[in-house]
Amino acid sequence: GERKEEEPEAPAAGRSPGTKAADRGWAWGVVFHFFLVNVLVMGMLKTFGIFFVAFQEEVGGSSEQVSWIGSIMSSLRFLGAPLVAVVCRRLGERPTSIVGAGLVGGGCLLSTQATSVPFLCVSMGLLPGMGFACLYQAAAVMTAKRCRTRLAFSNAIARSGMGLTFLIAPFTQLLIDFYGWQGTLLIFGGIMLNLVPSSMLLRPVGTRPPRRSSAEKRDCGSSMAKKDSETLDGCLDETTHREIRLCSAQDLSTTEGLMSSHSRDASGPVNSSALGRLEKSSKDSCSPEIATEAKRSYTSLPPTEKENSQPLLDFSPLKDPVFCIFTWSFLFSHLAYFVPVFHLVARAKTLGISSMDASYLISVAGITETVSQLLSGWVADQNWTKKYHYHVAYLVLGGITNLLCPLATTFPLLMTYAVAFAIFCGGFMALILPVLVDLVGVQKLHSYLGFAAFFAGIAAIGGPPLAGWLYDYTQTYVCSFLFAGACALISPISFFFEPLAQKWKLKKANL
Amino acid sequence: KMFFVKNFFTLLGVSGTSMEKNITLDSAARIELSCRLDNKYSHLKSLQVTWKRGNETLRHINKTENSWSIQLRILDNSKLGSYSCTLRGEEEISAMFHLQVPKIEGKEKPIVSYEGDTAVMICKSFGYIPIAWTWYMTNGSEQVAINDSLLADKYVINRISANVTNLKILKLTKEDDGIYWCEAAFELGRSKGKLKLKVLSLMVPLKPFLAIVAEVVVLVTIVFLYEMYSKKKEKCA
Repeated sequence: GERKEEEPEAPAAGRSPGTKAADRGWAWGVVFHFFLVNVLVMGMLKTFGIFFVAFQEEVGGSSEQVSWIGSIMSSLRFLGAPLVAVVCRRLGERPTSIVGAGLVGGGCLLSTQATSVPFLCVSMGLLPGMGFACLYQAAAVMTAKRCRTRLAFSNAIARSGMGLTFLIAPFTQLLIDFYGWQGTLLIFGGIMLNLVPSSMLLRPVGTRPPRRSSAEKRDCGSSMAKKDSETLDGCLDETTHREIRLCSAQDLSTTEGLMSSHSRDASGPVNSSALGRLEKSSKDSCSPEIATEAKRSYTSLPPTEKENSQPLLDFSPLKDPVFCIFTWSFLFSHLAYFVPVFHLVARAKTLGISSMDASYLISVAGITETVSQLLSGWVADQNWTKKYHYHVAYLVLGGITNLLCPLATTFPLLMTYAVAFAIFCGGFMALILPVLVDLVGVQKLHSYLGFAAFFAGIAAIGGPPLAGWLYDYTQTYVCSFLFAGACALISPISFFFEPLAQKWKLKKANL
Repeated sequence: KMFFVKNFFTLLGVSGTSMEKNITLDSAARIELSCRLDNKYSHLKSLQVTWKRGNETLRHINKTENSWSIQLRILDNSKLGSYSCTLRGEEEISAMFHLQVPKIEGKEKPIVSYEGDTAVMICKSFGYIPIAWTWYMTNGSEQVAINDSLLADKYVINRISANVTNLKILKLTKEDDGIYWCEAAFELGRSKGKLKLKVLSLMVPLKPFLAIVAEVVVLVTIVFLYEMYSKKKEKCA
């Protein structure tokens, strides 16, 4: 049952109880959808290994050629993100998500007719890969937009879906034994189509955001200059007459009424992004000077509203030092996560631990990671300190754990390592999205998330071969763990520059 | 012809337990089988050792004080089989050697394919290279060899590598459902692997798929209707 005390959105003043409850409902819907995306997407990625054998037998081709299919599928999920971010900003989250679900389902269905490896590369690699990217981007940003105050916890709940994927592998094997790989892909396509109704839960946000917490009020001073420029951009979109009226009528209570009725009628998401920026502007009025300044700029700007100042592919994140800080950390933390995951079982085997015990290690680590994600999300939401402080702490502790791993030579010690690593990994994984939202805000989240995911994709592609190379070069798995530990310790370094970066941005904005 | 001399032995231990060893041979060879007594039991006196194959007793050599061996020249299939050495003292201890051709693995799980589609069946021999491969189909109770030159548009037999063979069956029908055998011919004999083919009609996976699609359509309709309903409520409110 739903836990009513954990509301993703704090109640906003001045709203009718009906809409408040509806908002809460939709927020849960979004979390549920994200959860389902995690389950199905990660499930499909993990079961690719089972299809690998079937593909090789059916279509021929060397191991390397067939494994390209899997690599394309899992890497496009990240690499396609900037493109998807553009699409999302243009069309809105809901249509993008539906398109993504359609791509994945269509890819699976098309693959049943596969006759050669290039065919499969497109139908099983390209199409589902782009579909996954669409689904993830839309779901992540929607979660950030809907669940303002409880973002970390909602994100953690959604990510816990990955823990359920262990059920999917035996299920897939059963289907293959019964229906053959073509029948299984057909059924998988159908299951993926289930993401279409759940994507419809991603209702465009048109609601008034809740009062900001004190932590955010502190940030308000430093970041308001930047957001002010964004709201100007927002009003320069192709807007309807009603929106010009909204822009100029800066009276907060009436805007709220107009906004809620406007959002209900909105043919979606095209206007929601503009509305999103608009609501940010009302959020920014923690100091009245900003409100009047914005009002003045709106009334002067409508004549020139024809030109669309938002470029198609927004490269501004790449020039932003905050983005560099975040991506540096993201890249190295992903490397630090993937490498031990790949090599834990192998290391256990070289230490003489049986396969049964090694798989036991993996399952315990998986469960611990899920629990730790939930806990870390809940703790971060209590706002005792800034979220990225937790992130840094988890990364440092994880790095130390990895560096100590070579000392683990018996099963109990290795189990301790696995549990500790899972705790810290779960901790920092759950906080990636909330930290990004904290640093960047929700408006520009699409482009930032897109580019960040792109760089993470590079780490994801490069990680396994790098780990393999390390093993080949040193003939021991110890180096992989030391490398992962080093990466995990390097990654939080960039966060120490965060206050500097904020000051730099403030100075630049004030010039 | 090249002869390889191989040496196999078994350590005899406690009585009562019978020890067996499998030896795989694919080509002609010279073999020495020896039975050696464990040091624990070297105090046992007056031991009588017999090497037998079936009912036939073979001459053996007493190599060292506690080991007895026979030397065999395996040239054809008739020499393969089970050889045993028995020590009779106060108790009787025996060990058995099974000389065999290499085993071929088929597939335990049935291969599932669809009508009109192509099925590929692969047979591998591990470690040993067969001289030739033959495929058989089970027709009723007898095994019929598959002649791919006669029915070239139905069956294609390919030898992908030295120890892997491929049978491709095109344009599957329900009659192709059944058990297939792949037989590898070695210098010393033949060995078979079993494969099962299951041919399904397209309707079989289509039914669950359509059920899922129907469920998706129902859910989409529900969500859509709920949205229209809540929009109307907001408009009226």
